[in-house]
Amino acid sequence: MARPPLQGLKVIDMAWLMAAPECARYLADLGADVIKIESGVRRDPLRSLGNYKDGVPGPNRSLSYHAINAGKRSLTLDMKARGGREAFLRLVRWADVIIEAFTPGVADSLEVSYPHLKPLNPGLIMVSTSILGSKGPASQGLSGTGSTGLAFAGAKYLVGWPDRPPEGPNGPWTDSVTPRFITSTILSALHRRQRTGQGCFIDASQAECGIHFLMPAWFDYAVNGVSPERRGSAGSPLRAPCGVYPCAGDDRWVAIDASDAPAWSALRTIVGPALDDLRFDTLVGRLRNRDALDAAISAFTRDKSADAVEHMLQAAGAPAHVVCTAADFATDEDLQAEGYYRLINDPEIGSTMTRGPQVNFSRTPHPPVRPGPRLGDSTRDLLREVAGYSDAEIDALDAEGALR
Amino acid sequence: MGLLRDVRVLEISSPPTMLAGRILGDLGADVVAIEPPRGAPGRRIEPFADGEPGLERSLTWQALNYNKRGMTLDTASADGRALLSDLLERFDIVIEATSPSEPSPLEEISLRPELIRVQVRPFSPHGPKAAYRTTDLILMAAGGAPALAGESDRPPLFFPIPQAMMEAGAEAAVATLSALIARERDGEGQIVDTPARIAAMAGAMGRIVSGFSGDTMSRRMPPASENTSPLATSNIPCADGYVVLSLAFAGAFAAMSANLIGWVRDEGELTPDIAATDWSRYARGAEGSPPPEPLQELGAALRRLCGRLTKFEIVEASRKHGFMAAPVMTMKDIDLFPHYRERGLFVASTAGPDGRPIEVPARFVQLEDDEIEIRSPAPRLSQHTTEVLAQELGLTKTEIQALYVHEVI
Repeated sequence: MARPPLQGLKVIDMAWLMAAPECARYLADLGADVIKIESGVRRDPLRSLGNYKDGVPGPNRSLSYHAINAGKRSLTLDMKARGGREAFLRLVRWADVIIEAFTPGVADSLEVSYPHLKPLNPGLIMVSTSILGSKGPASQGLSGTGSTGLAFAGAKYLVGWPDRPPEGPNGPWTDSVTPRFITSTILSALHRRQRTGQGCFIDASQAECGIHFLMPAWFDYAVNGVSPERRGSAGSPLRAPCGVYPCAGDDRWVAIDASDAPAWSALRTIVGPALDDLRFDTLVGRLRNRDALDAAISAFTRDKSADAVEHMLQAAGAPAHVVCTAADFATDEDLQAEGYYRLINDPEIGSTMTRGPQVNFSRTPHPPVRPGPRLGDSTRDLLREVAGYSDAEIDALDAEGALR
Repeated sequence: MGLLRDVRVLEISSPPTMLAGRILGDLGADVVAIEPPRGAPGRRIEPFADGEPGLERSLTWQALNYNKRGMTLDTASADGRALLSDLLERFDIVIEATSPSEPSPLEEISLRPELIRVQVRPFSPHGPKAAYRTTDLILMAAGGAPALAGESDRPPLFFPIPQAMMEAGAEAAVATLSALIARERDGEGQIVDTPARIAAMAGAMGRIVSGFSGDTMSRRMPPASENTSPLATSNIPCADGYVVLSLAFAGAFAAMSANLIGWVRDEGELTPDIAATDWSRYARGAEGSPPPEPLQELGAALRRLCGRLTKFEIVEASRKHGFMAAPVMTMKDIDLFPHYRERGLFVASTAGPDGRPIEVPARFVQLEDDEIEIRSPAPRLSQHTTEVLAQELGLTKTEIQALYVHEVI
């Protein structure tokens, strides 16, 4: 029986919010043993960002928190306390990978940055990630979230209407982009370490990772000398019809991309006479009369449910899909067929769904998906198992205030 | 970059494989992109050099295929499949994208057990959307990220650059390397199934699971006005564009918001008594429109202050005073931002049909003992076909010419 690829790998996640903890979630899904180190006093702010189970706030009730931290164990530690620091250093000697996301400068002042830790564990792979990275003239002291990272990456500017201020994608976008780049680098570093025994330090700017999803816009600027502008409407200006169309209901939309010949004739069959206009016969005609084309399609979609339009068009062979909301995900039969959502049972919030792994392996299993850890739920176990403390020593640490 | 210097990857090029192959190439792998003789679909994605189309003019192709070699091969022909089968013997990994209308050329090839086969596909083959026709726009809609983007009086906003192929490609890179690590344990390869729809959902973040909360769902808001609360992440006009300021009074964000208010006060735009408001009462947001008076005053003060400063001046103030701000950067701003320059983000390369010199913000990570470099720009169509067939398979000049005559390459 094959084992999860990273079974036995030891990871410390001392980060918060989404970008860096999501890297540790990837590693947990591959079987790594991930310890989430938190301060009970300065908790992961994701614990206080909804949506909460049943709408009731609480540090263990945020569904985003569970989605990002599933499968980890939590240890609370005050690293400024003498005993807390000693316990942390024991964990550093144990770890293969450490991920931190402090504002640049903070890890140095806490003496937990790579130069401090490498002597204790030369094979260590350590990631420091922040909005602008740990090196460079604007990095020190620059705090941010994915909502500021996306502005530094150029994403905010590119998403919006030409006649309105830039709006950007919804949510802290770089938090979703960055983990793939960092996790790929961690896995590559593990590959090298297997071969050479070398550890390494990985400095990752979340804004710089974000730029990679926009690289065609950079090449447009670098080669053509034009700085790309936001253009509002969805889809490509070189395709028609291609965009989002209004449907019945509250803020309901369907995306349709039927520019290619077979898809266009399928769409025409379904929509009927409104698209019989001779101007729409050719691609060039559709491009020149895009407004009339979009108006005719909107007149067809406007009084129908988005799901109905999706099904009708797809059945005829025209690419279409509802612009999905959170409520759509919860009932989506494709996601059920994927088995993407997994039932977790948490002592505090009970049974709920969270996300499973992003991909499927034919041979190596994923470990079962567990809830995100309750604050400090494994502090004592980990200090015993991993750091080698006795119960009496753990009591002494607690009395000192090092386990807050 | 040498992290993956001993890893060899064949990429059967398709939009969702392009970023996957490039990330692996950036990290040091030897990546060969295989295209049909008429060119990969990625060569027909805009923008184009000088706004003129052509197989060597797609800047999307050039942005996502540097650090690879490229060859052509008609994998629909028996000869093409035989050559592909021989090539697979010499590579660790093959990455492909499949769809209901395009069966995989690998189906008829017997694969050795050590091979890692990464498949990117749109929807579940076992669900009701198995036969769905997809494009990048369709997968982004199914991914849900755009649903809350933009103001509620207009349609939801999408990026002007295809993003589903980026999401799928980046996800496939992680998946590929996961299987590589697994193989190092026991020598066995496997099939890695990468659903592009799930990859595209990453951008929906918390909304992936919030439908199960029983809580009230977020909705899009009407256009912002001067009377809108400055809470949350606000977009504020400044002297040379816009700046984003994060203002929240809950938990860890409260201290940074206090620093922001202190800055506005010290700059003389907010009276000390308004600045001394007990802001913690807005920790859970503020009800009503117009918002409470202190928030209105703060919003107006921020607009006045930012209006006389540049983006980069506001960023400097944010570092000095300890609050969260970011310039709304254009590609030109990214070019001019001294931090990115001095940090070493950029690498020299060439692009366009005439190989003009450009700089690329290539270093998505920086290592203390190694660097991402651009070893080669994106391959021209069939640039390395002869080289790969001769070096890897030992084909003679005559044989390679024959394959060309028969349109196999």
